[in-house]
Amino acid sequence: MHAHRPLAIPLISTTLVGLTVLWVFPENLGFWRSVAIVSGWAGCGLLAASLLLMIREARLAAWLGGLESMYRWHHRLGVSAYLALLVHPLALATAGWSEAPALAWAMLAPWQQGWPVWLGWAALLCLMTGLALALSPAMPYARWRGLHNLLALAIVLALGHLLLLGLDYLLLWSPLLALALILWRFLRADLGLAATPHVVARVDHPSAEVVEVRLQPLAHPLAARPGQFVLAAFLDGPGFRGCGEYHPYTISAVAPDGEIALGIKALGDCTRHLQTVVPGVAVRIEGPFGDFLNERPAGPELWLAGGIGITPFLGVLRSGPLPHPVRLIYLHRNEHDATFRDEIATLAKIQPRLALDIIACGDRLPDLAALLPAAPDLAGHECYLCGPPGLLAAAVRLLRQRSVSPARIHFEHFDFR
Amino acid sequence: MMRKLFLLGTGAFWIAVLLVWAGARWLPSVPEQALPPTEKRFTLEEIARHASPEDCWMAIERTVYDLTPYLPEHPSRSGIVDPWCGKEATEAYRSKMKGRPHSPEADHLLTQYRVGALEEP
Repeated sequence: MHAHRPLAIPLISTTLVGLTVLWVFPENLGFWRSVAIVSGWAGCGLLAASLLLMIREARLAAWLGGLESMYRWHHRLGVSAYLALLVHPLALATAGWSEAPALAWAMLAPWQQGWPVWLGWAALLCLMTGLALALSPAMPYARWRGLHNLLALAIVLALGHLLLLGLDYLLLWSPLLALALILWRFLRADLGLAATPHVVARVDHPSAEVVEVRLQPLAHPLAARPGQFVLAAFLDGPGFRGCGEYHPYTISAVAPDGEIALGIKALGDCTRHLQTVVPGVAVRIEGPFGDFLNERPAGPELWLAGGIGITPFLGVLRSGPLPHPVRLIYLHRNEHDATFRDEIATLAKIQPRLALDIIACGDRLPDLAALLPAAPDLAGHECYLCGPPGLLAAAVRLLRQRSVSPARIHFEHFDFR
Repeated sequence: MMRKLFLLGTGAFWIAVLLVWAGARWLPSVPEQALPPTEKRFTLEEIARHASPEDCWMAIERTVYDLTPYLPEHPSRSGIVDPWCGKEATEAYRSKMKGRPHSPEADHLLTQYRVGALEEP
């Protein structure tokens, strides 16, 4: 999906880096000193581009190809910025090396320098530590989020480094832009100024570890479609204290009056606590994001759902008659885990274009080779997948082996770290 | 992929820093150029004739420097350094950034631009 704007992010990033470097491109300087200047400013431009992709605005996300694509590029550009900034002090040292190794070391040794270099080192070490933690998949989310702020601190320190070097104020536009983007993200997304207020109107428990909440808008309703997702922070309510963190949840239903339903599985501390949420709890919603299952081309479709991955498909089934033939394969572990099974079976009876397979496969990865249609039966199909990462990876591999082109395989990772 | 790049980059960076440190510690330094025995001497009036960024001399700690070729490389904006062209700039040189002197690297760099000594008053 989003094939219409695949170059938007690379073009914006190249423009930001190009403008920054062109602005400061050195003339009549030695090679390594020039490399140092270019790498430092290229790092600033890359950081600004990376931070632009961190702000969570629904329109920007739709324009840039979705939050997943933005976060993927946020990581790529952030690491590229870090690598460019590592070159900066090394190139300065190399410039001194031709005169004397001691001079090269004097460029790096903080105790031989002053505040400008101390702040530069502090920024680089903050970036190094922050990235090491940000790229740690095993870290609990709350701690990961807190330590992610080290990266914002790195930008502030880098700005101090540049100011104390006495650089011209006009030169500082890219680090100032980076700082402005951090502030934007903090105020609009983290503090929730961009969020719309909702209240929990109803709570259902379709299976042991899943709760479905229906949220009534208190201001304007969201222009949401089934299959999209929102970032929701559950706050306090009668006898309930929410964790207040924004997490992504798929929309499982959209009512004409603007009420939306979210399916929430107990996957972490916050979502486990949400299993006890009650009507009346205040919720702030950002989004909607994503276009999974939207703008689907005409033709037969294969839907593969694993566990709570059934939610976007349920949203579409609830919204009205299917326009094309669909085969839905819904995999779940056991009887207790079969979220919405009865409702989906009922919907299948009134959806004449839907062929439904509901399969219990225990705790092991199912035999997808036997479950998925053979290559001739997949010809001309659009394949939509939603489920745990292991299932997605195995299904994509198998579909590719069965000659389904990548453009016809659609899925979202829901990994927003 | 990003994690691998990060680890590779970080490892290479610290190895390079270690190499620079080892080079500074164990490789011989080029001996400082001996000063010419009959060094030219300039008065403050003579230095004052070189008071523009295109022809910028300064006296620092009784030594006279022609900093014209270095000015474009100086990291500070021109408004900070240019006003010292043609002047005795020892105090400015010593008090960079709220009383802090320039680094040993800057001291070393300065020697390249030496043109003579300041005439005794």
